[in-house]
Amino acid sequence: MEDLIIEGAHDNFFTPSVNFNLKTGICELSGESFLEDTVEFYKPLIDWLESYTTTVKKPIAFIIKLTYFNTSTSRCILDLLNVLKDYEDEGGEVVVNWHYDENDTDMEEDIEDYMIDTGLEINLIPF
Amino acid sequence: MKTELLEDKKHIYQSMLAQNVQISYTGAFDGQVLSVIAKNIEYSLSENPRVNKKMFKIFIELAQNISFYSHEQQKASDGSISGIGTLTIQEFDDYFTFATGNITDKIKIQPVIDKCNAINALDRESLRDYKRIQRKQAPSEKGGGNIGLIQVALTAENPLEYRLIPIDETLAFYIVAVKINKE
Repeated sequence: MEDLIIEGAHDNFFTPSVNFNLKTGICELSGESFLEDTVEFYKPLIDWLESYTTTVKKPIAFIIKLTYFNTSTSRCILDLLNVLKDYEDEGGEVVVNWHYDENDTDMEEDIEDYMIDTGLEINLIPF
Repeated sequence: MKTELLEDKKHIYQSMLAQNVQISYTGAFDGQVLSVIAKNIEYSLSENPRVNKKMFKIFIELAQNISFYSHEQQKASDGSISGIGTLTIQEFDDYFTFATGNITDKIKIQPVIDKCNAINALDRESLRDYKRIQRKQAPSEKGGGNIGLIQVALTAENPLEYRLIPIDETLAFYIVAVKINKE
């Protein structure tokens, strides 16, 4: 298993930056997410987390710094958070920090909705 | 032939939306066009970044619906297929309106109309519940979360307005519009 690193891009579509670090367990997802094939993009992220939580089994700090994501992405984020929730339920140590623009009340609602949906505690960090 | 249909119905659409037009586009909703319009909306539509962000989010969802589901389609040289439709943004003193239109199959659009009505019947908290329930279900064949229109209503903080203008036995011109308050 290796680090998962994807460089973000802002062209016709918006690719988020991904930096999942195997050694530290710090997994960061940042930028904007509006993709041509959302499911194809997020599958390796979900696979990475599933592999980490079943083989490495060390603590995870999941850091989200997305300033925009579309509704297709919204579903994939739910899938990522559900992997983390399952890990936590099995005794894994999980911290989720979500950084967001304090003026973006829509984003704040989105994060609250994820907490309700997954049962995960998400630390809201306004900037 | 199909483009002629859109041109014909576009006149009705444009007469409905004749005033205060800020941005207007008719054609294929491919990645490049989406990108250019998105930048205009995100950075130059209003002086209020919060409103620009809302307009941008609404644009992406409505444009994607046209791109995926319009009856009229254009095939690019790279083989990718994009739906054809029309988009208009109008500015008034206290609000913007955002409208998109495309040709659609009457039978296929009925579930969308039902969804618009369901969305408009709900208050904000119920709409958030509805979004969560829909999001948990399996993604659509296009990879969407089936929640685009719900997100549009939540982001706009206003009801969805829609119209179906019949073309013939099977086709209709579908318009969906929403207001975004400036404050």
